Amino acid sequence: MSSAESSFLASIKPSTPAGAAEPALLSEIDASTRAPVFFFLCCGLFWLLLGTAFALVASIKLHNPGFLGQAEWLTFGNIRTAHLTSVIYGWATNAAFAVAFWIMARLCRTKLRHVGVLGIAAFFWNLGVAIGIGGILRGDSTSIEWLEIPAYASPLLFCAYALVGVWAVVAFRFRAPGHVYVSQWYILAALFWFPWLYSIAQIMLIFAPARGAVQPLVNWWFAHNVLGLWFTPIGVASIYYFMPKVLGKPIHSYYLSALGFWSLALFYNWAGVHHLIGGPEPAWVISAGVVASLLMVIPVVTTGINHHLTMIGSFSRLKDSPTLRFMVFGGMSYTLVSLIGSAMAVRSFNEITHFTHFTVAHAHHGLYAFFTMVMFGAIYYMMPRLTGREWPSATLISVHFWACAVGITIYVVGLSLGGLIQGWEMIATTTDPQTHEVALRFPLFIDIVRDMIPYMVSRSVAGILITIGHLAFAAHFAWMLLQPRVAAGAQPARLSPDSAAPRTPAYE
Amino acid sequence: MGYGAYIFVVVMAAAVMASAVYALYWAVKTGQFQQFEKGATAIFNDEEPLGQPTDHFPQKPKKP
Repeated sequence: MSSAESSFLASIKPSTPAGAAEPALLSEIDASTRAPVFFFLCCGLFWLLLGTAFALVASIKLHNPGFLGQAEWLTFGNIRTAHLTSVIYGWATNAAFAVAFWIMARLCRTKLRHVGVLGIAAFFWNLGVAIGIGGILRGDSTSIEWLEIPAYASPLLFCAYALVGVWAVVAFRFRAPGHVYVSQWYILAALFWFPWLYSIAQIMLIFAPARGAVQPLVNWWFAHNVLGLWFTPIGVASIYYFMPKVLGKPIHSYYLSALGFWSLALFYNWAGVHHLIGGPEPAWVISAGVVASLLMVIPVVTTGINHHLTMIGSFSRLKDSPTLRFMVFGGMSYTLVSLIGSAMAVRSFNEITHFTHFTVAHAHHGLYAFFTMVMFGAIYYMMPRLTGREWPSATLISVHFWACAVGITIYVVGLSLGGLIQGWEMIATTTDPQTHEVALRFPLFIDIVRDMIPYMVSRSVAGILITIGHLAFAAHFAWMLLQPRVAAGAQPARLSPDSAAPRTPAYE
Repeated sequence: MGYGAYIFVVVMAAAVMASAVYALYWAVKTGQFQQFEKGATAIFNDEEPLGQPTDHFPQKPKKP
């Protein structure tokens, strides 16, 4: 055994007492995470831009069906799926890895060990995503929602993810002494949950498919839990870390944050089957899902109240902190989207919104207005500390924020409204006053489709705004890397403690 | 899908449940649910102390 190998094994020896690692300075910790976190972020940004382009094409096709109609690999079924895969497995997951490891290393108070392993995992994850998207565009999609990546790419993704998860456990196990902060709970749990969800769903749907009623149950258990047990915990963990960090005051109620975590862990897993309300499933399974979806109000309201009470008295800081601006937008969206989600699980409301654009609006509300905005905020905070450079332009940050915030608001409002109208038109009936015969008010489906065109156009307009925001962000990111580093030893201006600013005693 | 796969799935679900129960037990045993006020300040240290706001727009003067 070579000495390098033995020192590698010695440094992750299980007999080392937990929580006994050497504490390090925050700047040293940030530096130790630089290579893998930066790699995750660059890959994430690439998939974000690609996913945005796919999204625009898919959106335009819905009101202009002939658009790019000659290319068979760009048909709606392919491009919509390629969009979902690149934003979920490409952008959102890479960003989540980057943010999770950066926060985790800081909260473990010690340097991240053997980042090369993480680099290998990152490479194979992104290779898997690339093969998957290529396969989807070739027409190899599995046609199982959220698991469209063909079977020849998914084992690679699973192994890469498992390696990332193991490395989070190693980072946590070999931490320096001190309290385990609520963000660490969320991050560790999320990194545990996802491989479980992914492997079980792969086995039960692709490698040894379950039949009959079990199949859609597994599908929606997985698809909904990816949001609730993977992205939501990382998003909430980020808000719990960055919001108090930016404000310089602790979270309002740490007790509520613990309650929020454990109630999420307890209830969320059940909620996914509300996607099958009205489907051919045992009624008790659906009822259990509806109950769990409503119980989700507890962690959501707990978290929402906690964030709001932390922000009270500090809302003026939204003007001068980019991170806080994105975080607060994301946090408020989280509360709103989750409450709408709980409402959508009620059978009488679901009757209208099921199979309509309302669901699409809801999915983007959660994954974009909440999760993606929180990730943007986190990246604005992390990048100067990772690279030793300042963001070059306040204007580009504002363009990014406002284009994305206005864009996603138009998106969610437009499609929610369109979805409600669509849902109502599909079930609305009329009664003939003479014969008392009941008939559909809109017997021709094409009439409903035509009524949706203005809302589809509003989605494309929103998509263009969001694209502008993403291009501003990507250009700014590249520009930042071309800047000279701030002289060695000196921190970027906005990071250094400002002796002129008085400490805010508001929390005392 | 054979019985073997179902057994695997059930065992995995039980293992995840067991790890959650163990995590809760560990948290109680090691005092994670005590001194909530102190736990909330765990993210601050001498380098980035409590009461010190961080993160500002670049090139914009900080308001006192």
